[in-house]
Amino acid sequence: MSELKPIYKDVDSVVIRFAGDSGDGMQLTGTQFSSTSAVLGNDISTFPDYPSEIRAPAGTLAGVSGFQVNFASKHVLTPGDAPQVLVAMNPAALKSALPDLVPGGTIIVNTDSFTKNNLAKAGYDSNPLEDGSLEGYKVHKVPLTTMNREALKDIEDLTSKEKDRSQNFFALGLTFWIYDRRLDTSLKWIEQKFAKKPAVAEANKKALFAGYHFGENTEAFQVRYRIRRAHLEPGTYRRITGNEATALGLVTAAQKMGKPLFYGTYPITPASDILHYLSTYKNFDVRTFQAEDEIAGIGSTIGASFGGALAVTGTSGPGLALKTEAANLALMLELPIVIIDVQRGGPSTGMPTKTEQSDLLQAMYGRNGESPIPVIAAQSSADCFDTAIEACRIAVRAMTPVIMLSDGYLGNGAEPWKIPDADKIPPIEVKHPTEPNGENGKFLPYKRDPETMARPWAIPGTPGLEHRIGGLGKQPETGNVSYDPDDNQQMINERAEKVARLANWLPEQEVFGDETGDLLVVSWGSTFGATRSAVQSARAEGKKVSHVHIRYINPFPRNLGDILNNFKRILVPEMNMGQLVVLLRAKYGTHEFIQQNKVTGRPFTIKEVYEKINSLLAES
Amino acid sequence: MTEVTLNLTRKDFVSDQMVRWCPGCGDYAILAQMQRVLPELGIPKEDIVFISGIGCSSRFPYYMDTYGIHSIHGRAPTLASGLKLTNPNLQVWVITGDGDGLSIGGNHLIHTLRRNIDLKIILFNNRIYGLTKGQYSPTSLPGTKTKSSPMGSIDPAFNPTAVAVGVGATFIARTAATDVKHMAEMFRRAAHHKGTSFVEVYQNCLIFNDGAWDYATNPKTKHENIIYLEDHKPLIFGKNKDKGIRLNGIHPEVVSLDEVDESELMVHYEDMPDGSLSYFLSQMRHERGMPEPMGVFRCVDEPVYEEEVLQQIDLAIEQKGKGDLQQLFYQADTWVVEDESSGQNGSNGQGGNGSVPTLGVDEEYVGVVFNDEASSEPYFSPTDTLSTLNPRQPLIASQDISLGEAIQKLHNLDVGLLALVDDNGKLAGVFTEGDVLRKVAGNVTDLDATPVKDFMTTNVTALKEDDTLAQAIHLMSIHKFRHILLVDDDNRPVGVLSSRRVAHYIQDNFAEN
Ligand code: SF4
Repeated sequence: MSELKPIYKDVDSVVIRFAGDSGDGMQLTGTQFSSTSAVLGNDISTFPDYPSEIRAPAGTLAGVSGFQVNFASKHVLTPGDAPQVLVAMNPAALKSALPDLVPGGTIIVNTDSFTKNNLAKAGYDSNPLEDGSLEGYKVHKVPLTTMNREALKDIEDLTSKEKDRSQNFFALGLTFWIYDRRLDTSLKWIEQKFAKKPAVAEANKKALFAGYHFGENTEAFQVRYRIRRAHLEPGTYRRITGNEATALGLVTAAQKMGKPLFYGTYPITPASDILHYLSTYKNFDVRTFQAEDEIAGIGSTIGASFGGALAVTGTSGPGLALKTEAANLALMLELPIVIIDVQRGGPSTGMPTKTEQSDLLQAMYGRNGESPIPVIAAQSSADCFDTAIEACRIAVRAMTPVIMLSDGYLGNGAEPWKIPDADKIPPIEVKHPTEPNGENGKFLPYKRDPETMARPWAIPGTPGLEHRIGGLGKQPETGNVSYDPDDNQQMINERAEKVARLANWLPEQEVFGDETGDLLVVSWGSTFGATRSAVQSARAEGKKVSHVHIRYINPFPRNLGDILNNFKRILVPEMNMGQLVVLLRAKYGTHEFIQQNKVTGRPFTIKEVYEKINSLLAES
Repeated sequence: MTEVTLNLTRKDFVSDQMVRWCPGCGDYAILAQMQRVLPELGIPKEDIVFISGIGCSSRFPYYMDTYGIHSIHGRAPTLASGLKLTNPNLQVWVITGDGDGLSIGGNHLIHTLRRNIDLKIILFNNRIYGLTKGQYSPTSLPGTKTKSSPMGSIDPAFNPTAVAVGVGATFIARTAATDVKHMAEMFRRAAHHKGTSFVEVYQNCLIFNDGAWDYATNPKTKHENIIYLEDHKPLIFGKNKDKGIRLNGIHPEVVSLDEVDESELMVHYEDMPDGSLSYFLSQMRHERGMPEPMGVFRCVDEPVYEEEVLQQIDLAIEQKGKGDLQQLFYQADTWVVEDESSGQNGSNGQGGNGSVPTLGVDEEYVGVVFNDEASSEPYFSPTDTLSTLNPRQPLIASQDISLGEAIQKLHNLDVGLLALVDDNGKLAGVFTEGDVLRKVAGNVTDLDATPVKDFMTTNVTALKEDDTLAQAIHLMSIHKFRHILLVDDDNRPVGVLSSRRVAHYIQDNFAEN
């Protein structure tokens, strides 16, 4: 074999999409690729996109599972608008991902899967690899299955079907070659993951090397791309998904309170990973309870809070609907609980594996009666850590349920996380009374703290403070059942005031860019990345546009109204049909709010927001 | 639970709330017996909690001077479960009814029983919805005429004890609110059982369903219609104890003891591991012409849920050690981003406080720098150690010399870098040609009166002899260092490499090609 001399090209960022059948292991491939890139110091942002059926019919468009990674030497806030590289394991993957690919992009296909049958299942009349329809793209045709089988021919303990399962590692190895990635992170992972199945470990390792060497020895792959380290703030980093960050935030909050963490929940996509992570943290006195349904999830959480634990339940939109009545019970009992909603496409069962921000109004208003509950939203995968801690802080301060909104995009997506110094995270102070607070040694369960208006959190086991609480209307202070009109009015006022007062304590809203101007973009939750990047790009071109990203939705930051007053027009991009706008109009109605809405199950691209900003600025 | 004398009496468990059930309601007797039994248990009252759902029975916690929650319809077992998992030291009672526990809360009831959490569940069965004013309930017999079933209900009735047997409950009992002594005994037994206790109480709702349990509670007729269960004893009933239950194939049948010998009768065992005997008992219903068993159907020891939860936590702590947050955060592949602003040729000289950071391996450059498109196969490796480059001896002086002396040394010996050391010979800082040009020239009038200390760079990035060529190149190409100082493990200067030296080394090794 003649010596090949690879040519190196430096690039700032690459967006790559791995797509295949849902049984092809594309999620794993994408995760491995992003882990390695993260360890190499690139900034990363990922977007897993998979069908809700675990095994949708093989080879069909419905069964395509994709994982997009944006890795860069600069700071990235989104998984990238359009992939430049597509790794397609079968015709259906090619067909479904091709429309997203940038013009002239690179396609690596497994030609072995382009059989008549598979082409038909994907709805191709002719083979796109041969009919010229891919003209204009750089297409690498790789007989991946054949080569992988060949590479693994010496492994005796596996059937050829089992060997084919490591095909994804062949593809991974090839991309590792092209993008000059090290193999060790994945090799280590394989060894740990398959420690009990040495044959599988060996097959995967061999496949990984085979893919890498195939690149090394193939003329077509002699252009290698280098993406240097990103210039992040100094510190130690790791890759983290939103759901793992949420789990870490919760266990951190519990430790900072010196309490056990109780997590009562029912499995639901895309929130279940929080349960999976927490159930491995038992040595932190984390008590996970996989309940019989969503209602039992929150019911057990309320019971745990009554008992003095930091109590949390997690779910997604349909589950939040089921928890509604119990959330109101927590509100009436004035017990602290945190409800995490990892939002997904709705309504009804909707699109469980796709992302949306459409539970905002449900979180705000989806309960009977007057039911003010604090609502906060995470802005990025890593930010789920801080947001979870913040939700817990608010809950115990105001003795109230708190809803934390995440979504499928944040929950499953990953980005680098600068690991904080655990000792520097401030403790969360919690008081449990041991003495009666009323006259004649009486305990008054609803006697409020004059500053926070929180009631005392007296827990069973404390002598002399025995008390009964319930969901019925109450007398102030004693909490005794009362249908007295004045009592009911007063208690409702007090609960509302208690939540409103949080705004005095929570931080003020910050503005990115100028404090005044023609256009302000207001966003919340996971649209942060696309919105901030779009505003940055526009500002870099000298355009007068600013950005406000709201974390605290109920109550709104105390200075939000003043900020809005300083701008002529306000653009609100949301992955729903305008729910934040409903809240903004209700409170700051005199402004001109321009909606930008999208409910396609996919996050905003930077370009979409950027173009909207430009068109608005061009009008004015 | 330690049996201590707490001197508690019935009164200690009576709350200040007015009891609001209809006069004559069966609930009063249940409340009274509970308040009578609790003081006997030796449990401080602050450790007792009552949790209920919604319905007439669910007002119960308000009347008990213990901790309590009146929750929402059907959900009491869920709150109780979370509470018990949080504090297993508490004795937690669940008060529910036939609508609350078997209809809206049916799912929670069966799963709670299945898990065997140590909760005491008392189900007040009055075969009707009382609080919503009289609709048929899941335990109403078919044909029950109510407001919502004027032509008679169609639904077959739920059989609470059969449900409990079906899901593997470890303690199942039945009693009647009118039979106060028996009821008190069932509460006692439930309290002492470790695991979920389930007690069905026949309770009369005199407003909407009066007389529903008459057959089982009327002193005149009840002895023919119920059968008291006694552990290890044959099933015998009747006012004159003259009837018994015999198994005929798989069907229990009533036999007269005048005709059948006692030895042929079914014998009751509370602790039968499987549920078949309890199931037979649960199938003996009045409407099928059988006497209904009263007492403990089943009482077996099985692992208790919350104990196992805590055992897993203990085991996890034993295996992994008590949780350490910092360690947990690092449970992933990590990478370090260095502070790139600390270069020794930096433009300001104040530096840090004399600490000398050493650069960590910047691995990416190991693979990158040397595979450049123009390069042919290298004969050296980026991982060669710096000692192979034959670094020059560094020029060393005390940090206490004057600026004039330092400049003189640099000039005389024609070197670019002067290493300045403290009294122990350890590196304190460096002074370079660049510093002379940028910081000193034009700024200082009397060179000999000014100490070099004031102008040296103190936070020096130094390498060691066994660091790699790749790292040196990294510092030179990225941070534009012209010289790299090498120190030993004690931070004493031992060598200096110039960018020229490195370039020559690379060139020399390529030249052979
Ligand atoms: S309605 Fe029936 S069950 Fe309810 S309190 Fe009155 S008598 Fe008792």
